[in-house]
Amino acid sequence: MKNVYLPITVDHIARVEGKGGVEIVVGDDGVKEVKLNIIEGPRFFEAITLGKKLDEALAIYPRICSFCSAAHKLTAVEAAEKAVGFTPREEIQALREVLYIGDMIESHALHLYLLVLPDYMGYSSPLKMVDEYKKEIGIALELKNLGSWMMDELGSRAIHQENAVLGGFGKLPDKSVLEDMKRRLKEALPKAEYTFELFAKLEQYEEVEGPITHIAVKPRNGVYGIYGDYLKASDGMEFPSEEYKEHIKEFVVEHSFAKHSHYHGKPFMVGAISRVVNNADTLYGRAKELYESHKDLLRPTNPFANNLAQALELVYFTERAIDLIDEALAKWPIRPRDEVEIRDGFGVSTTEAPRGVLVYALKVENGRVSYADIITPTAFNFAQMEQHVRMMAEKHYNDDPEKLKLLAEMVVRAYDPCISCSVHVVRL
Amino acid sequence: MSEKKIRIGFYALTSCYGCQLQFAMMDEILQLIPNAEIVCWYMLERDSKEVEPVDIAFIEGSVSTEEEVELVKEVREKSKIVVAVGACATQGGVQSWTDKPLDELWKTVYGDGKVKFQPRMAKPVEEYIKVDYRLYGCPPEKRDFLYAIGTFLVGSWPEDIDYPVCLECRLRGNTCVLIERGEPCLGPITRAGCDARCPAFNVACIGCRGAIGYDVAWFDSLAKTFKEKGYTKEEIIERMKIFNAHNPKLEEMVNKIFQEVKE
Repeated sequence: MKNVYLPITVDHIARVEGKGGVEIVVGDDGVKEVKLNIIEGPRFFEAITLGKKLDEALAIYPRICSFCSAAHKLTAVEAAEKAVGFTPREEIQALREVLYIGDMIESHALHLYLLVLPDYMGYSSPLKMVDEYKKEIGIALELKNLGSWMMDELGSRAIHQENAVLGGFGKLPDKSVLEDMKRRLKEALPKAEYTFELFAKLEQYEEVEGPITHIAVKPRNGVYGIYGDYLKASDGMEFPSEEYKEHIKEFVVEHSFAKHSHYHGKPFMVGAISRVVNNADTLYGRAKELYESHKDLLRPTNPFANNLAQALELVYFTERAIDLIDEALAKWPIRPRDEVEIRDGFGVSTTEAPRGVLVYALKVENGRVSYADIITPTAFNFAQMEQHVRMMAEKHYNDDPEKLKLLAEMVVRAYDPCISCSVHVVRL
Repeated sequence: MSEKKIRIGFYALTSCYGCQLQFAMMDEILQLIPNAEIVCWYMLERDSKEVEPVDIAFIEGSVSTEEEVELVKEVREKSKIVVAVGACATQGGVQSWTDKPLDELWKTVYGDGKVKFQPRMAKPVEEYIKVDYRLYGCPPEKRDFLYAIGTFLVGSWPEDIDYPVCLECRLRGNTCVLIERGEPCLGPITRAGCDARCPAFNVACIGCRGAIGYDVAWFDSLAKTFKEKGYTKEEIIERMKIFNAHNPKLEEMVNKIFQEVKE
């Protein structure tokens, strides 16, 4: 007699950015199929901005995603500046990186404390943890507020920054605000370190242990960070950002409004753990020490290590922002903006968004966008994510479905997916 | 107010999730929690229930799939007050900034690829259901949320804003981005409430809170500067469409700005 198996499904994965579900199909021989259904509607960003004025297109790209709007804004601006042949001054670049770090701190704090931690502590929502975990929620809010405030001051607001423009900034904060920012970053450092110690204690499930190919931006100037002009893979390969399409292929899958990606025909991972794995030699300061003492936990073979890698980055980027502010202050007073001549051209920017490699390729003709290609970290990750959910399902498909559902969701959450970001990916 | 907790639902359609994030990032939310029951809020609550009755339903995002049409209808049936939150829910969002048909957009982004879900052209929530109140902005300001929820909690009704960003900008004493820099700042014709956030950074307003109502007196004064600065009607319409693509009066409004002044 043939057994009948009902698919194990989570229709709407909670505590991630965007709308997606998991479907696990089980048969007589075990797990037959695992699908991440991405049901968030498509928004066609690249198609919409074709033929639009460059500055207006730049105003809407950050709207792709709220959790990493500064990342989208700054990557789009860099691609546009490369396209028209403009290079920002060093101090402007430093302050843009501080703005980007604001996004990194806010996003990591939100993800770790509000989205991930409740699973480990046995809660359905961080709002229910307020009484029992007062200290942790307090730290989450403090780090998150620090990141948002940095974006308010340098970007005009924490979500959808308008202040980063072609040629620099519309306006820069007073020197006293930057001094204050340094002070608050220094105060946040022990809290970032507490976060690292807390996440170092959390289980990294061995069910999903195995080799992973990691891709990250190779840091510009050899210092661990956000910007870079080459992509680096953990198999030793390096290639210029402009050649991303020769190595990474995108394709449409029928169960998702988001496309999938393969590197040389195979799934791969991007994110904090990929940055740490590929670029650990460029870390410095307290984060370097923590990396050395926790290397076994920050290993390349487990997606759950991404949570701890984000915590490591909270420490790193808090220190790094202080140094970048000092670099800018050394050149004070700073002119916020240079005039940019809008010439025709093509530019590619690759940066490290909180969730991993973000690619913008823009072509400008007659002051308007004539080609746009945007690939987001989550789109890069989907294929690898599906494989890891499958590994988890293969170990637990005979267990209580509720247990498997939670574990599958935890795998997805470890990637810190940004589903809104991923549902507009383009090929032209 | 009765002892009964207020039941709140936060529902997401197609969007960037920034409105919810703005709401989640308010420390004030901790004061609301003891008086509220979060029935549905997938971004933070794993035990969310999409089909349970609520007192206030916040809907973020544009209606962009067949499934979302069904969802908004269901939310309407189960909710006492429906609040459309943000530019996508109130105006269709930046994803509406196009005249191209759906199949052309689809082909540009997905090629010949097929997906088992049904997409639709992005539309505001109000195209499908009755909406009781609107929070404008991309994203709305924190004070928009506080004002609306606070007013509902005391059993009253929040007011709409009927004056432009320019008013707040003048009060802050900013240099005028339109007059001084000659940039196409939409402040004169955009609903206020943001305290002129972008012009305060010397950045031209892109109109994320939507056009102010047609009959507001301010509308044709400073707005006429567009013409003086050499912008064409088409340029201003294109810029306004970023956040007003579904506004049926858009052309009429811009025509009014560009008509000959009768002295």
